[in-house]
Amino acid sequence: MSSPFEDVLATLIRQRGVLGCLVVGESDGIVVDANVQVGVSEAAVAALAAALYRRARLSSQSAGLGRVTFLQLEAERGHVCAVGREGLVLVTLAEPRAHIGLIRGAMLQSVEALA
Amino acid sequence: MMRTHAAEAWVEAPLQRFVDDARVLFALLLHPSGQVLGQFGFTRAVDVMAACALAAGIHASAGQLGRELDGAPFHELYHAGKERQIFIGEVRTARGSFIFLTAFGDESSLGLVRVFFAELSERLAQVVPPRVDGPPLAAASLERDLARSLAQLFGRAPAAPDGGDAPLSPTA
Repeated sequence: MSSPFEDVLATLIRQRGVLGCLVVGESDGIVVDANVQVGVSEAAVAALAAALYRRARLSSQSAGLGRVTFLQLEAERGHVCAVGREGLVLVTLAEPRAHIGLIRGAMLQSVEALA
Repeated sequence: MMRTHAAEAWVEAPLQRFVDDARVLFALLLHPSGQVLGQFGFTRAVDVMAACALAAGIHASAGQLGRELDGAPFHELYHAGKERQIFIGEVRTARGSFIFLTAFGDESSLGLVRVFFAELSERLAQVVPPRVDGPPLAAASLERDLARSLAQLFGRAPAAPDGGDAPLSPTA
């Protein structure tokens, strides 16, 4: 069964160094649609990234900084990037060699599709 | 910090880890008969007793409903309330299945609870002590064990002679 997010995910997964991308419910952390490489724990990444994004959004609001436009977590072996809209979060996992600027641009363009 | 309380020692560490990771409000591990093995968040024995009875009933009903609809029992159930949500899952171990119930609010999510429940199940399966064969469970011993497990959780039961937890009667 196809989902309205297939094209968005297909665009992101084609970026160099992207290991997977997911559309996740922000409040429940459940995967809506995903395109991930074998070995990526889809449910765990979705739940934890959604929780991270939600906390960041609430922190930003509490600090009077407005909405979160782009969240990037840099880790030892890669990156987790997230953008959100209308209760959905678009999450991308990428290798350290990935071009985060390109991924960021593609995600910010794609976030419109979450509405 | 609130700690978990366990009627059987092997339950405590995995349950505490789950509570710390998933940030839930309440957690309860019980035998399908309704006998509690460990809990977090409850302050009164009567609440634990009621939650255990309800969880055991819901789990049994869902299991039968799953068999009717899907040919196999449902192993996980989720209900969303206005501010709180509950998740009920089955933990399978070498000693048999147990029922796990947890309630959570805005601090957690269904996704997180499911992820950490899977980890909890693995940890419990690793540390569960071997089954002890004994006589079939009788109504009198069930009643006694239910009362004793509740008393242990709320600090009213004597420990075993070796200073450890007094084991509950063997269960099938």
